[in-house]
Amino acid sequence: MPPSKTPPTLEEFRVRAAQSGLTLTPEDVEHLHKGYVGLLTLMERIPSHWAWAAEPPHVFRADE
Amino acid sequence: MTDLTLLGIAEAGRLMARGEITSTALTEAFLKRIAAVDHKIASYITVTGDMALSAARQADMEMKGGVRRGPLHGIPIALKDIYETAGVKTTGHSHFKKDYVPAIDAETVRRLKDAGAVILGKLGTHEFANGAMTPDQPFPIVLNPWNTKYQPGGSSSGSGAAIAAQLCMGAMGSDTGGSIRNPAGFCATAGIKPTYGLVSRCGVFPLSFSMDTAGPMAWTTEDCALMLDVLAGHDPLDQGSAKTAKVDYGAAAHRPIKGMRIALARSWYEGQNGEGNSVTPEMKKGIDEAVRVLKDLGAIVEDVVFPDLRDYHIAGRIIITTEAHAIHRQDVIESPEKFGYTTRRRFQLGAFISAEQYLSALRFRRQLTLDTRAAMRGYDLIMAANQWGDPEIAEEPQAVFHFLGKPQLPMPFNITGQPAATICCGFSSGGLPLAFQLAGRAFDEASVIAVGSAFERATPWRSHRPKL
Repeated sequence: MPPSKTPPTLEEFRVRAAQSGLTLTPEDVEHLHKGYVGLLTLMERIPSHWAWAAEPPHVFRADE
Repeated sequence: MTDLTLLGIAEAGRLMARGEITSTALTEAFLKRIAAVDHKIASYITVTGDMALSAARQADMEMKGGVRRGPLHGIPIALKDIYETAGVKTTGHSHFKKDYVPAIDAETVRRLKDAGAVILGKLGTHEFANGAMTPDQPFPIVLNPWNTKYQPGGSSSGSGAAIAAQLCMGAMGSDTGGSIRNPAGFCATAGIKPTYGLVSRCGVFPLSFSMDTAGPMAWTTEDCALMLDVLAGHDPLDQGSAKTAKVDYGAAAHRPIKGMRIALARSWYEGQNGEGNSVTPEMKKGIDEAVRVLKDLGAIVEDVVFPDLRDYHIAGRIIITTEAHAIHRQDVIESPEKFGYTTRRRFQLGAFISAEQYLSALRFRRQLTLDTRAAMRGYDLIMAANQWGDPEIAEEPQAVFHFLGKPQLPMPFNITGQPAATICCGFSSGGLPLAFQLAGRAFDEASVIAVGSAFERATPWRSHRPKL
């Protein structure tokens, strides 16, 4: 996925965390940074070309 | 007379129908054992002794008068403490809900009570079915009855521990990313994650609305089937609930399995050419032996390559993290200190996942479901390992983000929505359980139950119990 190419540094993540609306301790931010960067690495397995593709119609079939 | 707490649901039901035991005697035996041994494993948060005895007497009166409500009539059952219970605290193992007393029962609890089940109490869980058990939560950490040095697995920790320790005959669990199958595997019980939509989640604390399932745990797969007979069915108040034909799951436990075709997803649990993770050698041996038993019973078991386990893992993690944040967002903003330190951070993390990332994970889920279905063509069931090896040590702090470690073996069937059961296939040299999973096509719990039950009858593992 596009953002995974450049994982945020801890400093960059701190800025983002400050805008998240969450009440976070410095320790929370460090843990969350580690978790987020880990997720981004794992997310590289998800094909990026679907992000803006239309959902196929069978997704909405109730009888499957 | 045998120790009544060793009876299974099916057997106890037969004995009660013949008037050889009473529900009151059965309930008293379980309450006595809870009082005697539960302090060693802390599986119960609340024991509803008086209510249970009253329900048991009512069941005895009805059965004496010739009224038989079904296979759970008079059977002592317990509930993971995320199931709402009228007039009884439902804590979610959290400071947030530690004094919460719901006014009405969850739909599943209502069905259990209507079927005459006796509710013994409420069981410990990972906080809101997601966080690990940490010392900053209001209730003690549940321990594994096979060896109290270890965790019982989660999130339905109390459910697995209590069944194995003979502290209830069956229990309700919930499974969003393996929360029934993890404790079932680590405690050597049976457990079924039903097809998404088969069992109502109305009145069960949600974790991830597009992945949550509610399901039964018991000592045998047949006992889980008897619980499923009562639990399955459409609920208009659960928007994910499906309208399906009634199935006799109890009867499925005695169906022959000769000729059934099982796809073995070996690549998920045996690393090859230095790639991927592997189960412990003892787990591998246990599963290889289980394959041999199933072949001897007439099933056809063949290796089949499915999508990479890591693909299911990441799709599930993104979806659960995002949806759990949406559910708990207000609380993590207003009172983050009330969550356990692990739960809090798992719920906070979803704030950093973008809409695009969430949608990509949903679409990846759809693709994985289609690819799994294609790989399963020509087979009735999928078989795979249930866990990598031994459970975690209870006193060691759990990783805040456990998903950064090995991918979770139960996750494929949360992604695809298929029914999946955990079956015990032996014990390690250290005395800890070995287990495998069996998954069927959507709404084909009957095939899972048939094969799981046949395996349990053909092997000695259901006669082993932990000593407390």
